[in-house]
Amino acid sequence: MKLSYIIREGIIGIKRSRMPFMISVFSVTIALLIVGLGVLAVDNSLQFIGEFQADYDLEIFLENEATAFQKTELAAIVKDYPGIFRMDYLSKEDAAALYNAEFGEDVLSLLDDNPLPSSFRITFEEDHRSADYIVTFIQNMNELDGVDEVIFKKDLFNRVQGVMQLVYTVATVTLFLIILSTVFLTANNLRLMILARYEFIETVRLLGASDFLVKAPFFLEGGILGFLGASLSVLLIILAEYCIKYYVHLDLPVKIIDHPEVILGLILFGVSLSSLGVLKAVRKMLRFVA
Amino acid sequence: MIRFDKVFLRYDTGISLRDLNFTIEKDEFVYLYGDSGSGKSSILKMIYMDMFPNSGTVDVLGADSSNIKRRDIARIRQRIGMVFQDFHLLSDRDIYSNIALPLELQGIKADVVRSKVTLKADELGIRSRLSHYPHELSAGEQQRVALARAIVNSPDILLADEPIAHLDEKAAAEVVKYIWKIHQSGTSVVYATHNEALLKKDPARAMTLVSGEVVKDRQL
Repeated sequence: MKLSYIIREGIIGIKRSRMPFMISVFSVTIALLIVGLGVLAVDNSLQFIGEFQADYDLEIFLENEATAFQKTELAAIVKDYPGIFRMDYLSKEDAAALYNAEFGEDVLSLLDDNPLPSSFRITFEEDHRSADYIVTFIQNMNELDGVDEVIFKKDLFNRVQGVMQLVYTVATVTLFLIILSTVFLTANNLRLMILARYEFIETVRLLGASDFLVKAPFFLEGGILGFLGASLSVLLIILAEYCIKYYVHLDLPVKIIDHPEVILGLILFGVSLSSLGVLKAVRKMLRFVA
Repeated sequence: MIRFDKVFLRYDTGISLRDLNFTIEKDEFVYLYGDSGSGKSSILKMIYMDMFPNSGTVDVLGADSSNIKRRDIARIRQRIGMVFQDFHLLSDRDIYSNIALPLELQGIKADVVRSKVTLKADELGIRSRLSHYPHELSAGEQQRVALARAIVNSPDILLADEPIAHLDEKAAAEVVKYIWKIHQSGTSVVYATHNEALLKKDPARAMTLVSGEVVKDRQL
């Protein structure tokens, strides 16, 4: 029965303080909208910058005279090299097909023989993707039999990596500050909402309500508030994505709708922010109510 | 039922209560009489554990003020009814909800709550006002609502802090009559007042307070 009291009081509390409740929902919506759009902007920026980078980090071209045995041995050495995330073998025929796809001409019709070499395309793991490490790798590869040349666009690689790192650092710091300020703003707003209910808290304490029974309906109210605020912010972000697509004609590579984990994260963040914020405000008030 | 043992209470502004030693038994009706600032409200606050002595102990319904836990205070208060001069009604709830609140806090079933609330509303003559809000009632009616709420869960003790201070003569007489009626049904009453006429009219124990000291304890 006490559970029914908690649920009923939580809902009654919302009905009785409609205006402060709506203002609080709105403040949570704005806060999470800023956080959500911030995360989205960072992800899309990183994605755009990443497009300057090739699908692979470097390419090892093999000598035309390299035997099948040499190729198999080379493949095994490269595959076992520490820090290799992915390795793709491109045969001479694959290279010709790529040439055809890229330039629209068949290399075999231009020349009698296929001059394009076979190669390995290498992608490094994130924590091994540094210019120094890759240069050492290239030196080791050049010493192997059957390797003709290793192509690594170091300048472009370094520049893109640098920009991505900068964006990531700035975005992380900015997002942290945004989250911090939204937590403070929301908590302050919730405190004002609870302050307006002082009469109720004082009266129920005098009538013999335990601290738990005082706090529980507010906790529930805070949860509902956070859920509504966060859901509204998710809907607004989706709306913003559609507006960008149809009015700016830009199809964002990262969209919130494709990432249910981000939606869930935002809703959980909203619910915990509000319910814990409310709980903290009530707890603070209870210190002044005997 | 209530025992004050060598109780001292000091405020930052000075001593409020000094060396209080008294016992209030079950079924007693006690007036706490004195001017404002004499310590009547402080004694009531100590009984419902809103205040604690700087030295000495207050024992209420078997709970000792010197080692009581916060959750036990809630339990003690469920056995104490309180009425104040400013009623302490929730302005955004109707009269029914105000009276029902102590029962709901104890998790009592809705149909039992309904029957108890209507019974008390009948006894106090406010049945027709159950769907109204406090601001729609006269001061006398509001105090009767506060009384109904205080006794709806049949408390062991009723504390009344100047309950007729804001009422006209007729309403005041009715409220006092109801409080006596409640007492006669077996509830101990501690009634704080500065109205000497009440003491003369009603045959009850009266403790006179001056500057935080009990200077006279009229026993029946």
